[in-house]
Amino acid sequence: MTKDPLYMDLAHCNEAPGKEFLFGTDTMGRDIFSMIRYGGRISLTIGFLATLLSTILAVLAGSVSGCAPARIDGVLMGLTELFLSVPGLLLTVFLQAVFGGSDAYSLSVVIGLTGWMSMAKVVRAEVLQLKHTDYVLAAKCLGGGFFHVLFRHLAPNFFPSVLFMAVMNVRNAIVAESTLSFMGLGLPMEEVSWGSMLSLSESALLSHSWWIILIPGAFLVATLLCLTNLGNYMRGRANKRHSNLGCQGSLNIKKK
Amino acid sequence: MRKLYIGRILYNIGKFALRVIVLSVLVFTISRLAPGDPLYAYYGERVEKMSVAQQEQARERLGLRKPLFTQYARWLQGAFHGDFGISYQYKTDVKEVIAARIGNTLILGGLGFLLIFVLALLLGLFCAWREDRAADRIICRIGTVTSCVPEFWLALLLLLVFAVWLDWLPGSGAYSIGKEGDVADRAVHLVLPLTVVVLGHLWYYAFQVRNRLLEEVRADYVLLARMKGLSGKQVLYRHCLRGALPSYLSMMAVALPHILGGTYVVETVFSYPGIGTLAYESARYQDYNLLMVVSLLTGTMVIFCNMLAGIISGRIDPRMRIHSLTGGGEVRGC
Repeated sequence: MTKDPLYMDLAHCNEAPGKEFLFGTDTMGRDIFSMIRYGGRISLTIGFLATLLSTILAVLAGSVSGCAPARIDGVLMGLTELFLSVPGLLLTVFLQAVFGGSDAYSLSVVIGLTGWMSMAKVVRAEVLQLKHTDYVLAAKCLGGGFFHVLFRHLAPNFFPSVLFMAVMNVRNAIVAESTLSFMGLGLPMEEVSWGSMLSLSESALLSHSWWIILIPGAFLVATLLCLTNLGNYMRGRANKRHSNLGCQGSLNIKKK
Repeated sequence: MRKLYIGRILYNIGKFALRVIVLSVLVFTISRLAPGDPLYAYYGERVEKMSVAQQEQARERLGLRKPLFTQYARWLQGAFHGDFGISYQYKTDVKEVIAARIGNTLILGGLGFLLIFVLALLLGLFCAWREDRAADRIICRIGTVTSCVPEFWLALLLLLVFAVWLDWLPGSGAYSIGKEGDVADRAVHLVLPLTVVVLGHLWYYAFQVRNRLLEEVRADYVLLARMKGLSGKQVLYRHCLRGALPSYLSMMAVALPHILGGTYVVETVFSYPGIGTLAYESARYQDYNLLMVVSLLTGTMVIFCNMLAGIISGRIDPRMRIHSLTGGGEVRGC
């Protein structure tokens, strides 16, 4: 059933799904079924690695800027906004050139480095609300340093929203990987991932080979959907916990 | 009071100008530091046949041998006179290259933005009104699925179905050859790209509207209004919507450059001649002058719209303004 995902079977180029090739073969004669099996690893690895990097960056940048005095905070946020205003495409091309050849690891670094800004904003907003609470003040008065306050008092509070954003970031990173690979800026065709498989779709369109486009894409979408549901589930739990406090009255009205 | 007002305007203009300048420095440096040879953009494959001396000469002529700072100063000087240099790839004035294409992107992105703006509000309102009923659940399900479909794949899918299999709609370009002025022809070419742009963003914003309204619906004033005899629908339209609108407007102000400038994937798949494909080409092939202008166009728009978002929410909701006056710094979106 599974074959070598890299083996180009030139006698069976562009074959429709059938008994031997469950999902057909692509224009270069590779078996799509096994490419999906092995390519998923790379797509998921990139998703998680990039998210790890961007989450660490976002939490650090967001909490430093949230805790800093207003002036430094303004400068830091200005920088973040500046980062947001540099076209993402340019940044990606540049970073990719800096990190040399495009393999899965350098691509995850590139995606991680371009994807932390919006999360940093959320973390900062949360920290700003938290930093004037009494227990943070108490911890500071007792001599707690920045990292102590961050990890023991701030992080547990903004953890739910960061968790939700992190799951969404995994999703975005996978989308970014596939989009970049599709555009020819990400992984080369020899490195099999769901995105680089789809980079063949231009020629597939011409030869009406729907399976090259539909099947890897369907797997991609299913994965993304799972991640989204996971994220929504986490956020849903967080929301309910908050709204229990003072909104039962209006809920009753809605039910009537 | 009036003095304070003018001061604020001047302050904002200054902040805006400063950010644009810093952005231009940043883009300039990044594009120069990125490895790659701009000569390829100018001469294409012929570079390989040129001798080293010829290459050096060409660099000298294009002003690429000067120190980075001198190059930037020169560019800035030209830019203030409205001279942005020539595109290495197209060998004409950058302004002409962009002018020929910006209309297409503005039509695609602008129409997309308008559709998203209206539809997201309507969908969000409808879902909030029918919270947790069948209609809301079905829409949420479908919306979640559409938000998971990567833009480029949606575009491929539509191409496959409507352009290849059914052959109903054209799959590439902005107009048929020789029919540049034909509005109907352009509209037909716009259907597929526009669908992708709208579907790609719609649910994200509609969901935000829905969630914001659901928060609003749980507030005490809703209880009061209901007790006074207003119907649920009336409360939703007259009171809750009003509470949710400021954050929606500032969110859409931030979304504007995102949607307008984020069309490059769609443009690439549909070979739609717009700014997006131009940005992609110039970043990839080191077409410095073109890249600078395209980046500055989109970047300036991002900066402008972000500031606009702050001002809008300050205008509509004075609480935000007071917050920012008391040292809270930037306005936070909800």
